[in-house]
Amino acid sequence: MIVRLLLAALAAGLIAGMAMTPAQYVKTIPLIMQAEAYEGSGAGHSHGAGETAAAAAATPGHSHDAGDAHGAHGHDDESMLGFGRLGDTVLANLVAGAGFSLMLAAVALLTGIHFPVGREGLTRGVLLGAAAWFCVQLAPAMSLPPAVPGFPYADLGNRQIWWVVAVLMSGIGVWCIALRPEWPLKVLGLVVIVAPHLWGSPVPEDLSSEVPAYIASAYAAASLATTLFFWLLLGGLIGHFLSRVPEEAPA
Amino acid sequence: MTAHTQTLSLTDRIGARTLAGLMALAIGSILVFGVGLANSQALHDAAHDTRHSYGFPCH
Repeated sequence: MIVRLLLAALAAGLIAGMAMTPAQYVKTIPLIMQAEAYEGSGAGHSHGAGETAAAAAATPGHSHDAGDAHGAHGHDDESMLGFGRLGDTVLANLVAGAGFSLMLAAVALLTGIHFPVGREGLTRGVLLGAAAWFCVQLAPAMSLPPAVPGFPYADLGNRQIWWVVAVLMSGIGVWCIALRPEWPLKVLGLVVIVAPHLWGSPVPEDLSSEVPAYIASAYAAASLATTLFFWLLLGGLIGHFLSRVPEEAPA
Repeated sequence: MTAHTQTLSLTDRIGARTLAGLMALAIGSILVFGVGLANSQALHDAAHDTRHSYGFPCH
């Protein structure tokens, strides 16, 4: 049963992760590439020499050349894994899908969410996926918006710590609100969700950026939209697949 | 004096669902950390577009 549960979660994650690549190439990655054309003047970050032709044309002699100094592997067709930019992204999306799926299935298994066979299991899965989208995407995005390359950045480590804490606290808060009947716990859940935002996320000192505001705002919406698609699909698949693992089945 | 030593496996004690959940949590955390947060240039480059698209803090 354990192996079948893990395989069910893995399968759901791989399918949802595979579906994510075309969604990203429709919505988010064109904006990332556009933004990279503006990146480099002052951001102090480089992506190797293999940027888009537009990047080279837009800012001749910009700091991307410095990529040869630290990590010459850009997002060109000669990526270090040898799959090219598209291949790397497909692979990363599969791994991300599997990872998120295993963690979401773990939450369902550890909090005692059961998936009955049929429509009810599917519905519960989709709701679980929606809750996960709130915790992993929307809640952290409210203080740390999804950002394109070339944006002003606060310290990476601080932002990562804040992001992980915000995701964990949002998860605990949603659990208190959605799965606990006691109303004091529901109030506490709300407080736990809001707390990291009151504390405040790391904000860069200088907010000016070369990247046009239109790209940035379109990107934030695109990121939230594509990930909503991912989490709803993933949740539905988890609900469906886990409902088909019999409780008493041998490993 | 026959001692019936019945060794309970981990599965019997905490339940198969809980055990599977803990295993899934461990494996999933490692995968998500690797794709989204690991501070390795190679991993960052390979997962760059994925990290940005999922809103992971990047750069």
